Amino acid sequence: MSLLALDKWAKLVTIISQNGGIFKSIYKLWRFDTLKWNGKLVGTDSLGNKYYENPYYMLGRSRWVEYNDYVRWDYDATQITPEWYGWLHYKTDRLPHEDPAKYCISCCAWYQKWMLPPEENLSGTELAYYPYSTVRQHIQVWDGKSVCSRPTPCVCK
Amino acid sequence: MAGRETMKTTCRVVKPLMSTDFCEARRRAIGLYRAFYRYIPYIHKYFDIPKSESQIRSKIREQFYKNACVTDIRIIDILVMKGYMELQEIKYSWQQKGHVMANWKPTIEPRPTDFISKFLNGKD
Amino acid sequence: MLRQPLTRALALSSPSRVAPLAARRFADQVQAQPDKVEVFIDDKPVYVPPGTTVLQAAAEVGVEIPRFCYHERLAVAGNCRMCLVEVEKSPKPVAACAMPVMKGMRVKTNSDLTRKAREGVMEFLLVNHPLDCPICDQGGECDLQDQSMAFGSDRSRFTDIHFSGKRAVEDKDVGPLIKTIMTRCIHCTRCIRFASEVAGIDDLGTTGRGTDMQVGTYVEKMFLSELSGNVIDLCPVGALTSKPYSFAARPWETRRIDSVDVLDPLGSNIVVATRTNEVLRILPRTNEEINEEWLSDKSRFACDGLKRQRLVTPMVKDSRGNLTPVEWEDAIVAAARALRDCPSDKLLAVAGDLADAESLVALKDFVNRLGSENTCTEQFFPAEGSGTDLRSSYLLNTKIANVEGADFVLLIGTNVRFEAPLLNARIRKAFIHKETDVALIGPKVDLTYDYTHVGDSASLVKDLATGTSSNEILKRLESAKRPVVILGADQLKTEEGAALLAYTQELALRLQDNLQDKEWKVLNVLQRTASQVAALDIGYRPGVGAALAAGPRVVYLLGADSGIVTREALPKDAVVIYQGHHGDAGASIADIVLPGAAYTEKRATYVNAEGRAQQTLVAVTPPGLAREDWKIIRALSEVAGAGLPYDTLDEVRERLNQVSPALVAYGDVQPNNYFAQARALAKSLQKPVSGKLDVQLKQLEDYFMTDAISRASPTMAKCVQAVLKQKTAPY
Repeated sequence: MSLLALDKWAKLVTIISQNGGIFKSIYKLWRFDTLKWNGKLVGTDSLGNKYYENPYYMLGRSRWVEYNDYVRWDYDATQITPEWYGWLHYKTDRLPHEDPAKYCISCCAWYQKWMLPPEENLSGTELAYYPYSTVRQHIQVWDGKSVCSRPTPCVCK
Repeated sequence: MAGRETMKTTCRVVKPLMSTDFCEARRRAIGLYRAFYRYIPYIHKYFDIPKSESQIRSKIREQFYKNACVTDIRIIDILVMKGYMELQEIKYSWQQKGHVMANWKPTIEPRPTDFISKFLNGKD
Repeated sequence: MLRQPLTRALALSSPSRVAPLAARRFADQVQAQPDKVEVFIDDKPVYVPPGTTVLQAAAEVGVEIPRFCYHERLAVAGNCRMCLVEVEKSPKPVAACAMPVMKGMRVKTNSDLTRKAREGVMEFLLVNHPLDCPICDQGGECDLQDQSMAFGSDRSRFTDIHFSGKRAVEDKDVGPLIKTIMTRCIHCTRCIRFASEVAGIDDLGTTGRGTDMQVGTYVEKMFLSELSGNVIDLCPVGALTSKPYSFAARPWETRRIDSVDVLDPLGSNIVVATRTNEVLRILPRTNEEINEEWLSDKSRFACDGLKRQRLVTPMVKDSRGNLTPVEWEDAIVAAARALRDCPSDKLLAVAGDLADAESLVALKDFVNRLGSENTCTEQFFPAEGSGTDLRSSYLLNTKIANVEGADFVLLIGTNVRFEAPLLNARIRKAFIHKETDVALIGPKVDLTYDYTHVGDSASLVKDLATGTSSNEILKRLESAKRPVVILGADQLKTEEGAALLAYTQELALRLQDNLQDKEWKVLNVLQRTASQVAALDIGYRPGVGAALAAGPRVVYLLGADSGIVTREALPKDAVVIYQGHHGDAGASIADIVLPGAAYTEKRATYVNAEGRAQQTLVAVTPPGLAREDWKIIRALSEVAGAGLPYDTLDEVRERLNQVSPALVAYGDVQPNNYFAQARALAKSLQKPVSGKLDVQLKQLEDYFMTDAISRASPTMAKCVQAVLKQKTAPY
């Protein structure tokens, strides 16, 4: 038994089956560089990311997120919504739906008028924020067609 | 009195630093060159610079030839000593990749010289 | 009018009044000098002619007496009392600016009494002067500030802590150029004297007496003058300041670069004040030969046009016909390809109003290397007769400063007041102080002084030239010792231009031959633009009419913005390359736009209407990707395969020197000759003329916007609006 490490092999098979078969497991491994065993799906956020927990793993590895398939390899830690952030980083053990404040945030994105939906970091993309200069340019550039008004008509020969 | 003073200054024999004559100084310089030459494979190996061994060799040669016109023995001695210091710095990794690469001046763009490139760059 | 009382004053033998103006350079005018009198300034003996004032005598030995109202170029007023000095055996201190010297007079400019008198005057001035130096635009260049530091009391006796008694005066509205804060006025009346003596506008004056005295225009009225900006410089305090420059900078923050103005043909000397690569204001620089210390309003205030409508990047027309910004490389290659592929007889280069001599010579050399001779200027000048071969036929030969010495001025078809305001100021000066008479052939315009209006028919010139005229002007001209004839270049545009020029030459030279003073030049042609003289010197052909009719395939516009070259006049497939600094008529019809530098942004040579070469200096860097003009042409020539042989400015100037040494003799005027030859060549052109003379700039509102820079200037636009509004006002 221990010589062949059959229990390890059995666990591998379990992991693969839990992750949805060989191809899906390879795909997941490719995306996340890891395959987890026996994860319990504890919730999904508004962006479609799935949150898992398995206390079998040590602290720091026992909670993880599987990003929405839609983003493929372009996932980013800023895609995690604020209400899940605390749980995922062990700031709290209460899940968002157990916390009234976070419940408000997650359930009613428009609970407060001023609150915008969470948005990932857009640096490096076309939508990135660029601050613009508020200093007025002292040279005004010609627009390419206008002609200054002339008070007197020109006499030409 | 004054005549003796001038005699003194003109005939003053300078105290040698290390070498007593030009041949000795030349020997020291060649010794330094050899020391560098032997260390070239290690420079190439440890510093991970985008230069081949032959390029390093020619750069070292170039640096030596830069001082080819120096004839004062004492200056040659000083330059040789500074050369050994340089070698030691490289050897003990007191110099990093950037310091070694600085010999090639890779970040300095040559200034435009002809009119049209000066015009296009807006530099005078 | 000012002239009559002043001449009476002269008759009453008070030469001190016009003493500085009486210094003349012509031998026969120098009257027998009476013996000089000896006076002592601070015990230093000095010999001065009688009639000199104490203040001038002190200046001779280098003693500067403080003053507010006294100004060298204006009449003496003697009302500020700042120049009080102690004179021995005089019971009370005397005003140095108005007191003529007397023999053996002992003046003490630094005695206790003098100092006490100054302190007292300063105290009275400050009692009613607001303490708003921190927010005053004159701060840093204020005579009152400086002199209160030097001569004022070190403590105040002003105890009105409840702020009840200080004088306050309502501000006046005198137009968009001058800002008035009349509470600061110390009643020196310099502005009033300038307006009535130099500018010839009797609008300013005082009302009331004592504390109630006010300087103003009596009624709400704009200060309608083309020289109004000079009162800002004259004002010793911050009562009159520049409106466009208000709250912009302090004088110690600005860098001052000596330069030359190009907005009128006179080439007035200026100082460009800049900060952080921005032109803030333009001030006059003293040059007795050209502008004295005045500056016309367009030259002074059009500098904000340098910041609008600028070309900052090369542009090429894209497939949809819109000009799009490109890199220099692309623009140069596109332009060079067009120029190279063009047959040499279908190539045309047109130089505009503001082109400098360096770019003119580079462009001409380039075009010649491409095998073409078609280099033209926008302004026309007749090519018949001697044409532009002889320099004397297109310059102001008398020279600007010598016009003061004239005793009869005949203006033919020119409104000098707006075409060259400072030349008009000179004529006015001669008119007032020298009894000079002025006659005008052309439309009746306001020249700010009285003149004899002969008529506006061109045939009058012919009659005068042939001596068949029965007009009394002919007799006056013939009897004049120093006549001056000024012909406006605008008249030469018409069909009869050549004949008119020929008659004017005939008239002027006939007068010149009969003069006793053989050095005196009579003939003057007043050009309209700053570039024209240099272009004609270099060998440009004046006028584009014939070249346009030939149907050019490629047109190179060097700052040609007058709107004379239009799309309609060109063949459909013609490529237009525009090089210049403002987006205006030229750039709007262009296929390729190459951004050049304006006159404040390059070191360049300009030749003024008298043929005086002067250079501008770099005050600010050209905006964006703009480059110096001659460099653009040099780069273009290399890409087009006809490389010009100069790489540096000095080499270009060496080339200018080859073309004509006069172009690089900075500050000098070469005397012109060959008048007789020009006259002989013009003989055949004396055909009958019948047209009427007309000028382009008739009214003040026409004056402000005449070139690309002033047309882009918001201040100049405001001036035009204000003048038009003033026209509808009841006063």
